[in-house]
This record gives sequence, C-alpha cells and structure tokens, in this order.
Amino acid sequence: MKTVLQIALGVIAAIGGFVDIGDLVFNAQAGAAVGAPALWAVPVGVLGIMIFAEMSGRIVAVSNKPNFVLVKERYGARLSTFTLVASLVLTVLTLGAELGGLGFVLNYLFDVSVNFFVLVALIAIAAAIYFLPFGGLERLFGYMGLALLVYLAASIKLDPDWGEIGRGFVPESHGAAVYWYFVVGLIAAALMPYEIYFYSSGAVEEGWDEHDMKVNKANAFIGFGLGGLISVAILVASAQVLKPAGISPDSIGTVALVAEVPYGETGLILAFIGILFAVGGATIDTAFSAAYNLAQHQGWRWGKRFRLLDEPRFTLALGGFLLLGFAIAQTGVDPISLTEYAVIFSIPVLPLTYLPILLVGNDAGVMGRHVNGPINRVLGWAYFGLICLLALAAPVLYIWTNGGG
Amino acid sequence: MMRRRGLAGVLLAGVLCFVGCGGPMQPDELARSIEALESTAAEGALLADHVARDRSKNTFVRAHARELGETVEHEAEKLNDAEGEPENGVAPAKAKAIDLADQISAALGRIQTAPGDEAEGGAAQTELSTLSEKAGKLAEGL
Repeated sequence: MKTVLQIALGVIAAIGGFVDIGDLVFNAQAGAAVGAPALWAVPVGVLGIMIFAEMSGRIVAVSNKPNFVLVKERYGARLSTFTLVASLVLTVLTLGAELGGLGFVLNYLFDVSVNFFVLVALIAIAAAIYFLPFGGLERLFGYMGLALLVYLAASIKLDPDWGEIGRGFVPESHGAAVYWYFVVGLIAAALMPYEIYFYSSGAVEEGWDEHDMKVNKANAFIGFGLGGLISVAILVASAQVLKPAGISPDSIGTVALVAEVPYGETGLILAFIGILFAVGGATIDTAFSAAYNLAQHQGWRWGKRFRLLDEPRFTLALGGFLLLGFAIAQTGVDPISLTEYAVIFSIPVLPLTYLPILLVGNDAGVMGRHVNGPINRVLGWAYFGLICLLALAAPVLYIWTNGGG
Repeated sequence: MMRRRGLAGVLLAGVLCFVGCGGPMQPDELARSIEALESTAAEGALLADHVARDRSKNTFVRAHARELGETVEHEAEKLNDAEGEPENGVAPAKAKAIDLADQISAALGRIQTAPGDEAEGGAAQTELSTLSEKAGKLAEGL
C-alpha cells in the first residue's frame, strides 16, 4: 500500500503528461487513421521518458537540483533565458488548452456552457492547489485519472485482432507521411518538456534524498508505464471503433464515445471521470511547471511544501499563469488544436530540456556513486539523438501532412 | 542588404505557400472537406444509435450533437465561400456537398432536440448513415 501511495508523482506526471486533452484526441486520431501499426511509437516514447525521469529524480536525490536549475547552470544566461521563454510559452498555451478541455468535459456532463465551466474549472483547480498538500494533489488527480483504464477494458472487450496488435509493436518501414506524423507525435507526446520539469521539481517537493532511489525508480517505471498503457489502450479501442466507421476524431467527446460503445452510459461516465482528472492533473502539471521554471530561473524561493503566502513571487507566478491560461481558454480557441500545435512545436525545445539531465547524470563529480552506468549512458545518448531527429522532423511532417489530415 | 532582401523574399514566398494564395477550389481540397462531412455524419450515426438503444447520457448527446452540428455548419460555410469553377471544375460537387451538409446538420438537430427519444434516435441513425455513405461516394468521385 505504501508503495502504491509513493508512486503518485510518477502517475500524475505521466497521466497529466501523455493523456492530457490533446494527447487523448491525438491517440484516438492515431488509432482511427493508422491503427495498430502506430503502436510501437508509444513504448519508444515511454521508455525515453522513463530513462530521463529516473535520471532527473536521481539527480534531485543526490544534488537537490531540479531540472531548470540544471538548465541555468549548464547553459549561459542567454540560452537559459531562451529555454525559459520557449518552455513558458508552450507550457502556458498547453495550460490554456487543458482549462478549455475541462470546460468541454464538464459541459458534456451538465450542458450549461463551455465558458462557464472553464471558470468553474479554474476555481476548482485554484482551490485544490491552495487547500491540498502536494501529495494530496498527486494522489487525487493521479489516481482518479486511472479511471481511464476503462479504455483498457474496452480495448479487450472490443476483441481486436491480437496478432495485428502484437505486430503493431514491431516498427515497420512505411512510406506514408501521415503514418510518420503520428509516430513522431506519439513519441513526442510522451516526452513533453513540462512532464520532466514537474517530475524533478516534484521530487524536490517530496524531499527525496539518496534513500529514495527505489521510490524514484518505481515512480519512473510504474507511473509512466501506466500512462503508456492507457495511451496504447485508447489507440487500440479507437482503432476498433472509429477506423471501421470512418470517423476522424476532432473532439474529446469522440474519445468518450469510444468507451460508450462497449459499456454504454457506465463506460461514458468512467471515461469522463478519467478524462476530467487526467486533464485536471495536466492543468496542475503545467501551472506548476511554468511557476517552477520561472522561480528556479530567477532564483526565488519556490514550492508547495512551503506556505504559498510565505513565498509571494512564486505564488503570484502560479496564480498569474493560471489566469493567463484562463484568458487563453476564454478566447474560444479549440483546445485540441492548441495542444497539438504545442506538442509538435515543443519538439524543437526538447533537446534543450533533456541535454542538461544527461550531462549531469553522466558527471561523476556531481553524482558520485549514483552516476549513470554504461546502459544509461548509451540509452540516454541514443534517446538524445532521437529527440534531435524528432526536433527536425516534426514541423516538416506537420506542414507536409496538413496536421495529419 | 541584398542578402536581407533575398531572405525576406524567401520568407514571403514560404508564408504565401503555407497560407495558400486563394484561387478556385481544387478537387483534393473539396475531397478533404467532404471527408470531414462523411466522418461527422458517421459519428452522428453512432451517437444516434446510442440514443435509439438508450445507451447514452442526455446532456452528452445534446452537447456533442450541437458540437458536431457546428462542425458541419462551419464546413458548409467554407464550401460556400470557396470558389468553384463552373465548367470542368468542382462547382457541381461543391453544391452537392453543401446540400449534404444541410441534411446532416438537420439530422443532428433531431437528436440534439430530443436526446431521450429512442424513436427519433433510430430515425436519425438511419438518415445519418445514409448521408455518410453519400458523402463517401461523392468524395470518391472526385
């Protein structure tokens, strides 16, 4: 039971990270457009985030330094400011999309108006941040988000061709640009920069030290593994329901409809509970990540572990980013398109996010006996190479395929 | 200076290519638009089927049918505003697509108005399935 409670950080980082509002629809679109052959991209992305999350958690446990402190130390003033601005723009855009998404989900349940429910969502999230401790936030949004496992049950009940599903986990050469667009997007969705910022800062919030190496591993591997499993389940269930019907999902309502096919209204409600908390978790991830990054870059005192009123600059930043996200959501911009742009255009920022983790993880002077071993080094550099490749390919594929359309 | 002008020219050309420069609607653009109608009608049919079998929640049916209806209306507006060459062009197919969009929108309106009416759901399901098929055939013919 203790272990289950201890992996909440990994669960919320993963669920908020790769089953957020845009990724839920992106996974469903991948299932509807490509189907099982795109499946292999999910474990590739999940393994990447597991490696880097474990590394960043280990760095925190040894040096108490979260990711943006590493960015500041390893890059000069200009490059760290550029990384800060780029990550803030993308994170706040995503935050706006998540709040907009919460408005849509609540409106599906109560049908008043999306904008009204965006305001309700803002108040609920702000109240949760103010009143709940960090661990409470993790557990509430992380574990309630696991209601999305209804898609795992749905994908089994829909009885797909298991041979085809198995073959989907083996990469194949494919000429279609749309296929590569979804493959790149699925890998990138697992590696969104704000996940790693939230995870490493969350490790500081939880006060990890060298005794927490096992907790870190469990968070990185089980937490992100669960997120990946849900991603796969949504893709498989969507391939079963939407692909044969010729439906191209563009809204979160379509993703919920997939769970309604095998389980009726119960499936729909479970899907909405999962989506509500997963997207709520993503809202928390993004709001905190933006405030963490700014505070760490500026050298302010930061963290939910202190009383928010005792650290006014961090608290103002957190509140300000939430309000900025609310303003973006109130413009009526489509949250799905917004997060898709954020996923695709955050890819060029990925190398800047992940390089400092790798450099510090490989630095025996900092890490001592916890320095990366040969397997971590090889995998770390291999994934860094892949991230650089994605950074070049993503914008081109986005324009070439008209956004996968 | 020359280098800057050259760079500005390349950027301008890139932006123009990216945003499109207007002109008559091409068959592939029309096909994409009709495919969007086909997909929306198919999804509407699935939703209506759940209404017919009392397997959904009224607020969801109403809000989602409204959302799908707005998608169809937006597509119809885009089609209406696009230029189609009258001879040897896409104008006839475009007119058919706008007509299909109107019918899909009306059928979605039926389940939006009466999300708890199983008979209405059944009728809308049949109609939306037929309209989705028609849209598919129209897109294939382009």
